[in-house]
Amino acid sequence: MPKRKIHRERPKEKFSYDPRKVLKMLDEHARRILEDIKAGKNPHFDIPMRGLSNVYFDEETRLIRMGDKLSRRYFLNVAHARKFMQTLLIMAYVKRLVSEGKHASLREAYYANKHTIPGTRENTFEDQSESDPIIEDLERMFGVLREEMHITADRRGYIYGDIVIRDGEDEFNASKLGSGGWAVPGTVEHIQFPEINVDYALVVETAAMADRLIEEKFPKRENALIIATQGQASRGVRRLIHRLHYEEGLPIIVFTDGDPYGWYIYSTIKQGSINLAYLSDKLATPESKFVGMTMDDIKKYGLENVTEKLKGIPPNKKGGPTGDYKRILEEMNYPWFQNKEWQRQLQLALKWGVRIEQQALANKSLEFVAKEYLPEKINNGDLLP
Amino acid sequence: MAEASQLFKEFKIQSVSEFFRRNAAMLGYTGKVRSLTTLVHEAVTNSLDACEEAGIPPYVRVEIEELGNEHYKVVVEDNGPGIPEKYITHVFGKMLAGTKAHRNIQSRGQQGIGISGAVMFAQITSGKATRVITSTGNDEIIEAWVKIDVDKNEGKIVKKEKHPNPKGWRGTRIELEVKNVRYMRSKQGVFWYLKLTAIANPHAHIELIEPDGKLIVFPRSSDYIPEPPVEMKPHPKGVLTDDVYRLAKKTRRNTVRRFLIGEFSRISDKKVDELIEYIAALRLIKTVEDKKLQEQYYQKLMEGHVKAVLRAFKGYTKVVKQVAKMMEKPPEKLTWHEAEEIVEAFKYMKFLAPPTHGLRPIGEENIEKGLKGILKPEFVTAVTRPPKVYSGGIPFQVEVGIAYGGEIPAGFDLYRYANRVPLLFDAGSCVTTQAARSVDWKRYKIDDLDRAPLVLMINVVSVHVPYTGTGKQSIASVDEIYNEIRLAIMDAARRLQTYLSGKHRRLAQVKRKKTFEKYVPEIARALSILTGEPEEKIREYFIRFIESRFASTEVEEVPVAEEVAENA
Repeated sequence: MPKRKIHRERPKEKFSYDPRKVLKMLDEHARRILEDIKAGKNPHFDIPMRGLSNVYFDEETRLIRMGDKLSRRYFLNVAHARKFMQTLLIMAYVKRLVSEGKHASLREAYYANKHTIPGTRENTFEDQSESDPIIEDLERMFGVLREEMHITADRRGYIYGDIVIRDGEDEFNASKLGSGGWAVPGTVEHIQFPEINVDYALVVETAAMADRLIEEKFPKRENALIIATQGQASRGVRRLIHRLHYEEGLPIIVFTDGDPYGWYIYSTIKQGSINLAYLSDKLATPESKFVGMTMDDIKKYGLENVTEKLKGIPPNKKGGPTGDYKRILEEMNYPWFQNKEWQRQLQLALKWGVRIEQQALANKSLEFVAKEYLPEKINNGDLLP
Repeated sequence: MAEASQLFKEFKIQSVSEFFRRNAAMLGYTGKVRSLTTLVHEAVTNSLDACEEAGIPPYVRVEIEELGNEHYKVVVEDNGPGIPEKYITHVFGKMLAGTKAHRNIQSRGQQGIGISGAVMFAQITSGKATRVITSTGNDEIIEAWVKIDVDKNEGKIVKKEKHPNPKGWRGTRIELEVKNVRYMRSKQGVFWYLKLTAIANPHAHIELIEPDGKLIVFPRSSDYIPEPPVEMKPHPKGVLTDDVYRLAKKTRRNTVRRFLIGEFSRISDKKVDELIEYIAALRLIKTVEDKKLQEQYYQKLMEGHVKAVLRAFKGYTKVVKQVAKMMEKPPEKLTWHEAEEIVEAFKYMKFLAPPTHGLRPIGEENIEKGLKGILKPEFVTAVTRPPKVYSGGIPFQVEVGIAYGGEIPAGFDLYRYANRVPLLFDAGSCVTTQAARSVDWKRYKIDDLDRAPLVLMINVVSVHVPYTGTGKQSIASVDEIYNEIRLAIMDAARRLQTYLSGKHRRLAQVKRKKTFEKYVPEIARALSILTGEPEEKIREYFIRFIESRFASTEVEEVPVAEEVAENA
């Protein structure tokens, strides 16, 4: 066994959650609105614009970042007035949540603020699709996570490994909770890690693979923390990954299916996403690395028989490219995939027209992934950037 | 023999009555509702005319009392100049003997038949005399019962009383008893007629007491008393052979030349000389046998080359002299054929446009006053077009008023007038209806004309309104008149459009203001939680801000950020 190249580094960031910051933001913005209206000015909010047009890739930090385009939301504008009112309602709600130390889900935030406007037949919010974007607006406007505003996202994903977690009044070791591990909550801002006995974190796309690795005692043997994302990583998981890397110095290695969706999951963990570009600083981990699956693995481990065909029409066929082919071509254009290794993998996928799942490794043997594939690649540093 | 003469006498009486009955339609006495309206019309018209001529602001009161089944008493009283005793029989008794008949003058009335026709109608339906109470404001009031001696076509006072006039009352009150009529509040009835009359005569105060005792007042809305129309001499382009022939018989001038210059407008000595040449030329052209050549001469004449045409004929001077001679003879000796020649020559000649000083339009301001006073609309406008000429020489003028909204119920209404007289019948065949319907109202923000709260009033003014029939209830579709009406309507409709778009803008403005106001309580509560300032105060700030923004002109649209497309 070669000497392991991956191990825990020095922390780069300090735990940063401070509820006073959110309260200060709320106060500043509300006061400015009040000053404007007193002075006879049309009060407004400046909200960084969302969407592709206001997103760019920052080569230096290697993050998808939000541009500086702002949209102004005025009170005295027929098209804005309702949203202006909704923004203030949510702000007031956040103030109550944070100052009382309570958390609410997006849906609770919606119901808590929905009521009929007196003297009309209009509701303050007609649908959750009205309140969710307002909360995102506040995130972008204040530069804070909604979790910091005590509004939580859906939870998904879990972790397993020799790590001590302090969650409020509870403190426990994530390798002693049975084979299910510790489910990552919607917000991880308040979570602390008094003790960490792992060298790195392995982020696994599918729960089935994570279960397999736990059963094979991979975390113990390799001194690794398993983080199961269960598909696209939730905000909680992404934030957890970020914190583990920057605050605790854990290297991040991502293990997904060898298909456009798996590579996109990796891309989101690494560079952030367009939707949440304004949160990349807090959610993305550009230093993470990719262990597999790659197209090279197919040749290297003789998995030709367990590949599957890509979905959709190839680019050279009539009507193409569609489906997987189209996704791959898009990914090839991502700035962070502009390197020889990744271009080669993507080209191969296009050329062969195949994809490969993590579970295909079971074709070798149940232990193969835990005992050969992962240790070999990780310890050899056979990782993609 | 005695028996025969008796029979003859009987026959004669019968024939006058019979004539009147047969021609009742001509005078407007057809149908039970319309007959009553016509009766009232004649009396009211007389009152208005009398007041205007005397320069008195008219005050007309109409009273209709039901005496039995289809049996009414109609009372019309005015504050006019009154009728001197000796004229009473002339005014009410003689048919076809008015002051305006056969004169080229813009008039309301039925040309002299008017009130005597009404007296006659009352008499033949109820057998009763018409009661006239009048005073010229001197110390006595005359009360007279007038009948028409059908035999002699003469007014006859059956009974007469004189009363003292201590208060100096002046005016005329007539009471007619009629049968075979019916009072109804329909669009052909008295109420409607008086309403329309009031609109077209805003200087008049008109009252109506209906059979059930209900008093309706159409108050005066203008102090301006229109000047009475003046007589206009006929224009050569607008006359018929009969006009020339008849006028020649009546004139006091002693030569045809003097007659033409004196009785027609735009004819001078020089024009008569020209006329002589034209008549001569026409006579000569008629002698040509070659049809083609004849056509050419007519054509040349039409182009005004009368001298050239004359020179084409040998010995034309002789013919010219003959015609010139005709001009120097007494007009009563003018033959029908000669009159025909004159009228034919007129067609080829050029004349100045006829004078229009005799036309008496209501005027834009007064139309607006009339519509506003009676209909109480939210918007009113009027257009009086400059006078124009139809059929070559008859001056006419079109006026249009539009009243919109307010107390006007939904549904388009067209109020038609000829010389201020409401036309209540035969709307379908009237040029005003055709013109009104031909306008594309959608272009003027009236999306559905038949549901719009819109009244369109059209008044056609002329010394000779081309009615379609003897009932004088519908104006013929003369191109010049049709076009003028259309232009007037469109002009007025454009102003309505401007008003309506402004109104829409204001309505939208109010709606916008409400949009902002409804959010204020929510905003105030949230800001109060966020800043700790009292909710009530914050609400005041916002309300004051909205008020000030909407008070100062229109709210400039704040720049809508790009967000709207993506985020709204």
